[in-house]
Amino acid sequence: MTAASSSSAPETEAATEAATGAPLLEVRGLAYDYGRVTAVQDCGFEAAAGGVVALIGGNGAGKTTTVQCVAGALRPRAGTIRFDGRDITGLPAHEAVELGLALVPEGRQVFQQLTVHENLLVAGRVQRARADLSANLDKVYTLFPRLKERRAQNAGSLSGGEQQMLAIGRGLMTGPRLLILDEPSLGLSPILVTTIFRLIGALNAEGITILIVEQNLHQTLTMADHAYVLEKGRVVRSGGGRELLDDPAVKAAYLGVA
Amino acid sequence: MLLFLQTTINGLVLGGIYSLAAVGFSLIFGVIGIVNLTHGIFVIAGAYMAMALFAAAGVDPLLAIPLIGAVLFAVGYAYQRTIIDWAISRASVEASLVVTFGMAMVFRNLLQLWFGPDVQTITPSYSFDSVAIGPIRVDMVRLAALGASMALLTGLTLMLARTHFGRAMRAVAQQPLAASLSGLNVRRIHGLTFGVSAALAGASGAIIGIVQPFSASSEVAWTLNAFIVVVLGGIGSPAGALAGGLVLGLINAYTATYVSPALTQAMMFLVLVLMLLLRPQGILGAAYGESR
Ligand SMILES: Nc1ncnc2c1ncn2[C@@H]1O[C@H](COP(=O)(O)OP(=O)(O)OP(=O)(O)O)[C@@H](O)[C@H]1O
Ligand SMILES: [Mg+2]
Repeated sequence: MTAASSSSAPETEAATEAATGAPLLEVRGLAYDYGRVTAVQDCGFEAAAGGVVALIGGNGAGKTTTVQCVAGALRPRAGTIRFDGRDITGLPAHEAVELGLALVPEGRQVFQQLTVHENLLVAGRVQRARADLSANLDKVYTLFPRLKERRAQNAGSLSGGEQQMLAIGRGLMTGPRLLILDEPSLGLSPILVTTIFRLIGALNAEGITILIVEQNLHQTLTMADHAYVLEKGRVVRSGGGRELLDDPAVKAAYLGVA
Repeated sequence: MLLFLQTTINGLVLGGIYSLAAVGFSLIFGVIGIVNLTHGIFVIAGAYMAMALFAAAGVDPLLAIPLIGAVLFAVGYAYQRTIIDWAISRASVEASLVVTFGMAMVFRNLLQLWFGPDVQTITPSYSFDSVAIGPIRVDMVRLAALGASMALLTGLTLMLARTHFGRAMRAVAQQPLAASLSGLNVRRIHGLTFGVSAALAGASGAIIGIVQPFSASSEVAWTLNAFIVVVLGGIGSPAGALAGGLVLGLINAYTATYVSPALTQAMMFLVLVLMLLLRPQGILGAAYGESR
């Protein structure tokens, strides 16, 4: 695995793979309610194996709810979620992880009072990755030398950017085939945002399929093979990343002007 | 001076037992976020089991701890995975308060029916031996009780710090969502936490049985003690339970010796109220951050 600072441009390579592969993730008619509030309704999208797919949309559009349903953290009211051809609708999160589906949640959610190393160990003990535990640790520490330096420190004492690295590292410890990232650049400095996006590109180049939720429109759409625009819990537009980037309606909807 | 030393030692022994009797309560509150009002039942059930084993087969209560712990572990696990989990998932976390309160009454009455209302004691062969430490004499049972309590608390501390299960419990306590995304079955870990907690409570019961009289109705006092220990020491960690337990034990012993044995309860509550006002996070603070 190459370091985070690798400057390779994996989009083109991933795009060709994406064009030929069958969808690794397929979501149809997804719906979720928080009590009486409908957050997601009739939401559908797919992610081709090896590709980068983005979900974008304004605050409260239902992005987090959608990916949490996919990862099994929430149980949808309706719809189906297929992963690698298998129906995983309603499969609890700890079982979905075992199939190779990892969600790096919004707000990082690192285990604050565990050390950096313990954070990684907890996730690295999933059955699918247990045999590779030490190799995965090496991988994550090579990817994020910063985490290695701070391995004995409590995760709560890390900076925001370091916590995001740890959250991603924790996801990688489970040996995912699909890595879902919910707003990984939230609250990071511009330079760190660029680092994180490079890293995501590098992970994708290694063959990990990426589903990314972002507010950072430009960098996300530049990287994504395909993107879906969510509004009030529905997909209102979709298309190639760069194609959507030039769509004035997307910007308007995204900024909530529409 | 002699009286002071003797009182201090008595207080520390009592404190060690309080710590062990409270640590499970603290763990459940820290990891699952519920106040388990059935806690004292597990303590007293452990004492009755030790009594029954001693009466039937002459098993020393301290040697019976592994068996008592195993049985209560299973009971605690099943209790959480059924009644407690149903209450939490169908109603709310607060509902568990009512449910555990109700279950405590049911179990207390069952224990009374089964073992009778009388106050019981367990008297192993070494009950009347004592050891001289300089000018002070310490009962053998008290020494054994303190040793067993410390050994179990140390074991729990090591398990929490060093094993995968320990890390998993702490992870679930802090971020249940992220824990499940990391492959942990949160409900199962809640059940296991309850099991560990019940086992330790039962062990403390066996120890209490050789040091103090007990009856089914003393379960209320043990739940209350656990609550005070947690407020004094801080939530969720064995170290917090130890700090809280020792302070409580010393308060109890000093009050009984220098003020009046009748005022120990009042003094405990006075300290509890002061603590809540002055340092609500406890002596050592919460083990799992500000999440609870
Ligand atoms: N726990 C909750 N209880 C009630 N309503 C909720 C809850 N979580 C989210 N919602 C509502 O569901 C809708 C979708 O929220 P969601 O978090 O999925 O949006 P999002 O697209 O991720 O937003 P953001 O970009 O701000 O993260 C919003 O209207 C939100 O208010
Ligand atoms: Mg969100």
